[in-house]
Amino acid sequence: MEYVSPFDERARVAEPLAPRRADLTGATVALLDITKRRGDEFLDRVEELLEGCGASTFRVVKEIFSKPAAPEIIRQIANRGDLAVEGLAD
Amino acid sequence: MSAVAAAPDFSLPSVAGHPVALADLHADGPALLLFVSEECPTCVLTLRRLAPVVAELSDAGVRVAAVFEDALEVAARVARRTGFDGVVLAEPAPYEVSRAYSLASLPTAVLVDRSGAEVGRVVGWDAAGLRTLLSVPVTDEPPVRKPGCAAKNTYDPEELRLLDSGGFDELEEMFERGWTDGLPVVPPTIERVDAMLGGRDRSVLLGEMAPSVARVTLERVAACAVLAGCRPDYFPVVVAAVEAVLEPAFNIGGQAVTTQPCGQVLVVNGPIRDAIGLNGSVGALGPGWRANMTIGRALRLVVSLTGGGFPGRLDRSTLGNPGKVAMCFAEDEDVSPWEALHVSRGFAADASVVTVVGADAPLSISDHRSTGPSELARVLGEAAAATWSPNWWPLGGVSLFVICPEHARSFAEWGWSKQRVVESLFDSVVRSAGSLRWGETTPLVNGASDDQLIRKWDSPEDIMLVVAGGEAGRYSAVFGPCLGMNTEPISKEVQWNT
Repeated sequence: MEYVSPFDERARVAEPLAPRRADLTGATVALLDITKRRGDEFLDRVEELLEGCGASTFRVVKEIFSKPAAPEIIRQIANRGDLAVEGLAD
Repeated sequence: MSAVAAAPDFSLPSVAGHPVALADLHADGPALLLFVSEECPTCVLTLRRLAPVVAELSDAGVRVAAVFEDALEVAARVARRTGFDGVVLAEPAPYEVSRAYSLASLPTAVLVDRSGAEVGRVVGWDAAGLRTLLSVPVTDEPPVRKPGCAAKNTYDPEELRLLDSGGFDELEEMFERGWTDGLPVVPPTIERVDAMLGGRDRSVLLGEMAPSVARVTLERVAACAVLAGCRPDYFPVVVAAVEAVLEPAFNIGGQAVTTQPCGQVLVVNGPIRDAIGLNGSVGALGPGWRANMTIGRALRLVVSLTGGGFPGRLDRSTLGNPGKVAMCFAEDEDVSPWEALHVSRGFAADASVVTVVGADAPLSISDHRSTGPSELARVLGEAAAATWSPNWWPLGGVSLFVICPEHARSFAEWGWSKQRVVESLFDSVVRSAGSLRWGETTPLVNGASDDQLIRKWDSPEDIMLVVAGGEAGRYSAVFGPCLGMNTEPISKEVQWNT
């Protein structure tokens, strides 16, 4: 019996992961605040730890946690950051 | 392993739709026959473990065929589930081919050379034996040997009769595929989907739906409508609902994956309600009416199957809510003393319109004793004061009140318009910030002085009223908002009689 699938059956190609860094010294790390409550406190602590490892950081903030990041936010992370850390959920 | 000359010939139905003979399999090189059956765990293991080497065998000129002692539909399902990509053949009872090959147990792998002679066989799962027989790498993962089950040609007639009663079940097949919300569905055959489409272009793209960024075509929406049990004349309402949830301002992507118990409520207005039998009267919020149940369910299947927001996978809703199964009802415009919802939202009175609201589960509000409109409005509003959280003020989202006919009639008899009820709800539900400063509350409450008054809603526009329900009983309801989604109610006109 032939059926019509409710799914989008297109084959998806998984994007390869970026190369992992062995050392954080000199790395620029994007800290993405998705605006969940107390996410900024979490990122403050992550920032301290990263700076202790010789990395520098910068913050980017999503408009709201429940919607995808605006293209400009993604561009900023890609252009300025070597790494990114997202403060996800609460 | 033993060598036997002249493999018995056969011609069996294949899942490709045409019969396949032994001679077809060894026409250009050796053929490997894997005799298997669904009920045998060792057969399933063998198919799963040989699946990765089928391509390699094919490259080496060996055609691999699984011969199931099962119905063709069962063979197709097991092959799909095990990832077996060779030829799939079925030999249901009375198993003459199996008997001709003198099979005592399954699985049995038989290698036939290009001349049609049997050159070797391996019985059961035997990694080393198969490696030797096939000259390809076969996994050494334990168990390296596992005995199989008795071949069905050895069964006595009573066993066969019992097995025959458990044949292919199309409804179970839908569960196997995951094409369900947990309830039985109507299989979306090509004929049923064509009937649902009613001549519309199946390739029309309505948009892409998060979280799986799936292309939502009319064909896939029609498949979901069939699965849900819709009649074809419901389809225009389903399409309008899908168009509504695809509006970015609705944020279905957020609603589909959040830990909140966020469902999608459909309110239908206009002449299509009567044309297709959508209920806005007794028991409007369900169950009992096919149009209500299946239209709401079809939208949810588009969200959870096509869109990928399936509970427990990408949908992380902590508790869920019945509105995640199906929640669709008509406004009872004939009974309502007020302007219909779609007219309030700018549509013509004779337009048919679907309004979609992202909402929590409904909270019932009983009031049989209020003696004036302010009192009744306060009862409704104070019930809504507990939605989301009793101390989360203001809500920052839309509350949908379903006013029952008796409550609506009372308001009308007291001379209150719909707008007056809305304004009274807005004005009467108010607290001092100090009384709300416990547990988790809002930044507004935390930043206010103790005696500053805080309302439950940011504005009267966040209060939406519709009239529905049975003629007797003073039970209204409120659907609280799902917060943090930045979702707006969306209305779409139904294109149905053009």
